[in-house]
Amino acid sequence: MSLIAENKSAVTQTLLDQLQNNASKVAFMPDSEIVSAIRYLEDKGIPNNKHEDYKYCNIEGILRKEFKSVEQSFNALIPEDIAPLKLEEAINLVVVNGNYVSALSEKMIVRGLTVKAFNELSALEKNLLSSQAKSESDALIALNSAFCGNGLYLEIENANVIPMPIHIIYVNSGNGNCVVNTRSFIRIGPNAEATLVESFYNIGNSKVFSNFVSEKLVEENAKLTCFTFQNEGSLSYSVHTNQAKIFKYGNYSNMTATLSGELVRNNHNVVLAEPNCEAHLNGLFITQGTQQVDNHTLIDHQMPNCESNELYKGIAKDKSSGTFNGKIFVRKDAQKTNAYQSSKNILMSDDATINTKPQLEIYADDVKCSHGTSTGKIDTEALFYLKARGIGEDTARKLLLQAFAQELIDKIEIPTLQERVLHLFEESL
Amino acid sequence: MANEILEEHIQNEYKWGFTTDIDADEAPKGLNEDIIRFISAKKSEPDWLLEFRLKAFRNWKNMVEPQWAHVSYKKPDFQDIIYYSAPKPKKELASLDEVDPEILKTFEKLGISLEEQKRLSGVQSNIAVDVVFDSVSVKTTFKETLAEKGIIFCSFSEAVQEHPELVKKYMGMAVPPTDNFYAALNSAVFTDGSFCYIPKGVRSPMELSTYFRINASGTGQFERTLIIADEDAYVSYLEGCTAPQRDENQLHAAVVEIITHKNAEVKYSTVQNWYPGDKDGKGGIFNFVTKRGICLEDNSKISWTQVETGSAVTWKYPSVILKGNNSVGEFYSVAVTNNYQQADTGTKMIHIGKNTRSTIISKGISAGFSNNSYRGLVQIKKGASNARNFSQCDSLLMGDKCGAHTFPYIEIKDKSAVVEHEATTSKIGEDQLFYCKQRGIDNEKAIGLIVNGYCKEVLNKLPMEFAVEAQKLLAISLEGSVG
Repeated sequence: MSLIAENKSAVTQTLLDQLQNNASKVAFMPDSEIVSAIRYLEDKGIPNNKHEDYKYCNIEGILRKEFKSVEQSFNALIPEDIAPLKLEEAINLVVVNGNYVSALSEKMIVRGLTVKAFNELSALEKNLLSSQAKSESDALIALNSAFCGNGLYLEIENANVIPMPIHIIYVNSGNGNCVVNTRSFIRIGPNAEATLVESFYNIGNSKVFSNFVSEKLVEENAKLTCFTFQNEGSLSYSVHTNQAKIFKYGNYSNMTATLSGELVRNNHNVVLAEPNCEAHLNGLFITQGTQQVDNHTLIDHQMPNCESNELYKGIAKDKSSGTFNGKIFVRKDAQKTNAYQSSKNILMSDDATINTKPQLEIYADDVKCSHGTSTGKIDTEALFYLKARGIGEDTARKLLLQAFAQELIDKIEIPTLQERVLHLFEESL
Repeated sequence: MANEILEEHIQNEYKWGFTTDIDADEAPKGLNEDIIRFISAKKSEPDWLLEFRLKAFRNWKNMVEPQWAHVSYKKPDFQDIIYYSAPKPKKELASLDEVDPEILKTFEKLGISLEEQKRLSGVQSNIAVDVVFDSVSVKTTFKETLAEKGIIFCSFSEAVQEHPELVKKYMGMAVPPTDNFYAALNSAVFTDGSFCYIPKGVRSPMELSTYFRINASGTGQFERTLIIADEDAYVSYLEGCTAPQRDENQLHAAVVEIITHKNAEVKYSTVQNWYPGDKDGKGGIFNFVTKRGICLEDNSKISWTQVETGSAVTWKYPSVILKGNNSVGEFYSVAVTNNYQQADTGTKMIHIGKNTRSTIISKGISAGFSNNSYRGLVQIKKGASNARNFSQCDSLLMGDKCGAHTFPYIEIKDKSAVVEHEATTSKIGEDQLFYCKQRGIDNEKAIGLIVNGYCKEVLNKLPMEFAVEAQKLLAISLEGSVG
């Protein structure tokens, strides 16, 4: 028993030492936060599969195996590297290896939109950082709080509606094994409205462990529509934590498309903090090779009359594995809650694995909550129908898988992004 | 209105809460190797069984109590429990007349009159009962009738003496002594239980039943049930439990193992009604039970049906390991919690063989300040082609101070598997109540009606005698829970 405990802290300790040696002298988080984050990490360690929330996703094992030594050296990026990643109809902002780079970003003056790097924040704004994603709730948030770079702060002021999507490109460019802690803070002021695209890429040919944390505040009667596009390539191991808080009449929605990445872990936590707000989480993944995708959602219904909806679909090929773990938490005061959760998966190979764990924890009686999950193979009758009409088996199978995913791809309202997702999705088939 | 009814219900005390004055032969409190040797010697067990117990105990010492369940309770002090309590005088009993009349009176109070059973023997729809009193089997009825068919139905200790080869072969097959904390504890200290063997090609002519009762104070009940159905055999097995009303929490850690051979079928039904504690959550039984069946060979079937209304804390997951091809596992459950009861119950379906099927229907009802969780695992192993699972777990909430939770784990490693899971949580619809009331059915009866309708899918699976009892039990458990 004690041996395991020692090993556990050893992995965390090695990582901490290496990161501390390489860390820049400037810290972007409040000092007290960094101290408590490191203390939490040293105490709890990076989670492994003994940890209930990481049962199907052994982060510690990956760090032990793939990131024994961390070099933290990066290639510089030029505008030409970024150009193909941009979305033409959006305002493109660029975050490289955890730091907001205004030189690569587009400067557009849009009423009500403020974009800053963490080191430009006022004391008041700085205090907002880590107000949502708490170090003591998860070791990976703690890791991020302790070592995050000069992240991005984005704010939409009261009652402004941003007419075009805002596209944040998070790109890592490691040269040698790296651990990148990227962080962003998004605040949508009362009555404001915005569409946000967050894309994740990895340029370079070395392994990167990317630990991303984003805090999102959707204030009274505000609306935030997010699209997350994950295409980090086979050298990337990433954890994405989204911590959102929604206020009265607020509306938050997210659609995550995971198309590549050796390991992708999504922690999507939404707090419905005031009455009458809603949240919609959607996700689509397709995995192949030895890829691993783990979608984890937590919707915390704290107040009455809120609504939440989740739809996650996945296709697992080869030796890959996909996980959906969704939790709906309805507190005592959250009467008249409507919560719906659905996860549908298709297994394409006998070596692939799908794990699902849809959880309901309910403490209020006047609620309507339901969840459903199904896992299976391609409908043989549908396949037969197509084959009988002269469509080859391969084409027929692709057609059916596309139809399976279409419902989610349709949710991406930005044409260029939708095309990009569809293209990659078809390629993966 | 709501409060009045609730009050009335709270007054409704546990009607099985009496103790029986009979001399009991007890071991000293505490647990160590000597106690285990004492129990083993008391029951004049063979050496291999003592070894089995000691091995389990040595493992248990290194194990920690599981913390993952969604329940909170004061950890039992394992040194403060009497691990052996047998009613005195303990001598061979040839007929019912020799059973301590006090015990017989207890059974009459409980509504299972052994005398009557005896008298009615020969009548078609009767049940053979094995009665376990403070972990020691008191009397098995209809033994002779069953023996004609070759069915062995006796207490576990008797089986150890008379059929050691069967016990040795099958014990620990479904639940190894090192399986989990409470199974290990049980393996070390179990005192008695029921044993049942249905030989090849025999359909049991009657329902077999075990009746458990904890009586002495400060004791824990650790019984073990082992059911074996040989090729083409069939048996329907019932289990019932009650306990006296006490302030302290008593521990019940049983193990039930079912093994089915080719084409065999076992149907296991439980109506669990241990003392749930009083309205303030004081006292009650801790029910930490490991139940597991193995469909060892092709085309076999194991079906668990449970109605859980008692116990302060329940921690129970009747499971099926579907090893044989085309084997079938079923789990039907109604779990009711009221006052401060906590239940964390569900099932595990492990698909190993080809074309295996499993069905899970779980209905949870929480009222008062209680918490009711469904926790289940459906695992499709690699190579379990064409496995099929359907799960449905519904929760019904009565009152705003209780909780209903679902923790289903689904792990699939075979592409030809089809697995579905559905869950809903809701309360009794105002419109449903209104509809009943409009037709002159009062509130109380309307709730009973709706709840029984809600549980019907499960209650239908119970043998007739039990279904009636279960319906009554549901009504009593929930009386006045909604205003």
